[in-house]
Amino acid sequence: MDPKMDSGIENCAYHSVEEAIENGIAPVPFSFNRTDDVQCTIDVMDHLLACEATWHKGNSLAQTVFSCIYLLRLERTSSHALLNSYCRIIRATCSAVVSVVSDARTHEEEDIFTMAYGLPLKGEGDEKCLSMLNAVEETISRQLRACKAQSSKKRVSEDTEPLQTNPDLEEGYCKALLSRIRFRKHFYHVLMCMRKPHGRGLELARKHIASCQSELACIRKSSEFLASNVRGGSQNDIEERTTASGCRPIGFDASLNSKLSAPTPPRAIKILSWNKKRKPDLVARAHLQVLLVQDGKLYGRDLIFDIISKAAALPEITKNYETQKNEFLVQLGQVIVIGMSQMVRVDWESYLGDLLINFLKILCTNLAWQRRKLGKILQDWTVTSVQAYKNESVSINEKLFSLLDTLSLIDTLSFVPWTLLTIALNCELGENSNVYVDENVCMKLSKHLLIWAEEQTYWIAYRFLTLGFELELYSPSEYCMVYWFIYCVLVKLSEQAQLKMVASTDAVKRKGKKKKDISKDALKDQKLSPVVLLLQCYICLSEGLTMMLAALRNEHNAFQTPSAFNTEEERFIQHFELLRRAHIPNDSIPTSYINNLQCTSDSLIVKELRSSFSSDPDRLDELRQIEQIAEHNRVALNVICQAGASDTSLKVSFEFTHGPCFAIAVVKRS
Amino acid sequence: METTVERESDPVEFDHSEIEYVSYGGEHHLPLIMRLVDAELSEPYSIFTYRYFVYLWPHLSFLAFHRGNCVGTVVCKMGEHRNTFRGYIAMLVVIKPYRGKGIATELVTRSIRVMMESGCEEVTLEAEVTNKGALALYGRLGFIRAKRLFRYYLNGVDAFRLKLLFPRSEMSRSLLAAIDRESSHLYDHCQPTVGSADVGSI
Repeated sequence: MDPKMDSGIENCAYHSVEEAIENGIAPVPFSFNRTDDVQCTIDVMDHLLACEATWHKGNSLAQTVFSCIYLLRLERTSSHALLNSYCRIIRATCSAVVSVVSDARTHEEEDIFTMAYGLPLKGEGDEKCLSMLNAVEETISRQLRACKAQSSKKRVSEDTEPLQTNPDLEEGYCKALLSRIRFRKHFYHVLMCMRKPHGRGLELARKHIASCQSELACIRKSSEFLASNVRGGSQNDIEERTTASGCRPIGFDASLNSKLSAPTPPRAIKILSWNKKRKPDLVARAHLQVLLVQDGKLYGRDLIFDIISKAAALPEITKNYETQKNEFLVQLGQVIVIGMSQMVRVDWESYLGDLLINFLKILCTNLAWQRRKLGKILQDWTVTSVQAYKNESVSINEKLFSLLDTLSLIDTLSFVPWTLLTIALNCELGENSNVYVDENVCMKLSKHLLIWAEEQTYWIAYRFLTLGFELELYSPSEYCMVYWFIYCVLVKLSEQAQLKMVASTDAVKRKGKKKKDISKDALKDQKLSPVVLLLQCYICLSEGLTMMLAALRNEHNAFQTPSAFNTEEERFIQHFELLRRAHIPNDSIPTSYINNLQCTSDSLIVKELRSSFSSDPDRLDELRQIEQIAEHNRVALNVICQAGASDTSLKVSFEFTHGPCFAIAVVKRS
Repeated sequence: METTVERESDPVEFDHSEIEYVSYGGEHHLPLIMRLVDAELSEPYSIFTYRYFVYLWPHLSFLAFHRGNCVGTVVCKMGEHRNTFRGYIAMLVVIKPYRGKGIATELVTRSIRVMMESGCEEVTLEAEVTNKGALALYGRLGFIRAKRLFRYYLNGVDAFRLKLLFPRSEMSRSLLAAIDRESSHLYDHCQPTVGSADVGSI
């Protein structure tokens, strides 16, 4: 068994916190030598920060933050203002994080442990932690001013007792302490601001985050000073040290809490080192989700359907939009009911709203979980469009139904939904409808909504596919099929984006036309928007990569994995099962994929890879990345083409040096 | 559950014909399996875990012997899972000096074949994302990485869920029939087989 799996019931030296304290493990003060006392206080602060980060990454409070005996018995530190106020704000901060992560519920079991199991996470007076820390900060600021005045031979205006006894070290220690205290204050403010309702604290939180970053820079700078004044025991490994000074911190013992850690035996964990850089993770995501979705509204203030209306570019119908909208929603629901005979009425507003809220929450989860969830919701989103078809087709009289059947339009998504809706209404209404329906209004609005829903479906599919690269789910022999699928999805996404533009300009005139006619018109009439142009770039990248990989397979026998137990078809089916079930895209996939493998055209590939559109300046970084990928691959392709199919010494591999999704071919001669 | 196939120094020299592959034969094999797995794999298992597998699916576990010593083992199960009949590879281990020579591949292949013949539609397992050897082994057999499981293992490492989908075509059915015809005594549904079963090479 891997020893990391179980830390074992280690023989801890002490049976209880009290026994440890009696044996002098956590003295208050650390030392009667004030310089040593300050140094030790700073070590505790640094180690606590490392513990906090380790906790955020998914370990128990007992083995991290609450391995600190001073935190376990905070009342003992009341005579030491600095230690007391610092521990108090740590406790309040952890309590706030537990609260937001629990509320957001974006975490899986292993993301973070929010259970405290009886550890003192809340204490009396914690709400005053900021003012206590402010008082300490004020004192140290005065001490810093005093020592600066003294060193520049200015007259000292106030009679301030220095921080510690060595005048040469006074400035360094004051600055080291101030940066740490200020960082904690700003971090606490960030947490408080982000919890303000309706996103009101967002701007202020941004400012505090910037302050946190500048204080962290100061903290890092202090490490040279602190390390050079080291006394006492040092942490052996410079890379693994948890304090700026490199000293082992006083007052920590994780084994004391072994009964309090969790229901399962404590795992052997390692506290993150001082030097380690980490990407923002769960705590940030939890805050993001809580900010975005409050009380079923965006930022707690914007109705979800209003957001959808804007995103779907629903046209303003009349001045009395609110009443019209409500009437429309009622009417739309009714329209669907007419089509459905016995089925339950679909309430568009809450259905689409629920889908969108769920989608936003999913985007705040960890990537592995996110991909699984995105795969699952694909069908929910697709149903939005299919439902309209199915409902309508059920109600249509025999003649029309058979006509649609002949045209193979019942089960396919390639037919524009509002057209079908029109046919249905033309047949059904005017007969026994007892509801007033403004046909044009309904047509316009439902068409917009369905186009928008379909666009989101393809966006979800695109994210599902590209996340597979970030999660390393694809082996090189599968890149070709994945890029091909990405290409198909991007093409549909681009079509939907263009359809949305067309629909928002001149929907009524085009009523009755087929979709492919419309997109042709769109291309002629409309200037392609930046969004669509950017999509075109990615389409070219994915198409180019597909063709390059296909050519390498066919001509160099590269990236093939013959398997004993199945063929490429089974692997294809498995990777894209969820997409197929959601009818994405709607061509028949397996055969066309296999056929496409045959096409290789050098000039076509180069042309595709060379194309890059000028786009919105806000996307410059993204464009640069695309250009670099295209350029690298173009060069690699030239090398491969020059070498020819017969050259077996060439080895081609793919690396993700410019972004996680689109690979760059690396050609080496073996 | 997991697999270990890293290459190590000081390998033992042997001829492939010297390795004897044996289907789980009873209680006398259990301590051999447990000793190997406890020593080589990172997750701790209790005796109940082992018994669960080898009692219910003895025909899916195999051991590899070299000159009387047990050098590798595979432990599996199969059953209905959400309307699919699915095989599951719980543990696969080959001791360090014998790695890199195809023993693990042979052990797994035998189990998978039994699963295929028993009507399994797919086979699945979890492997640490850092276990390059295992990922390469299963990749060669046709497994894909279906999902990534965040911090799946007790040591905090992520896992991939690997899945192998068997073909459902007519061709695969005749392929299975061909395997049936070629091999000598395969496993019997009612009793575990003992002794090596040479079922042809892959």
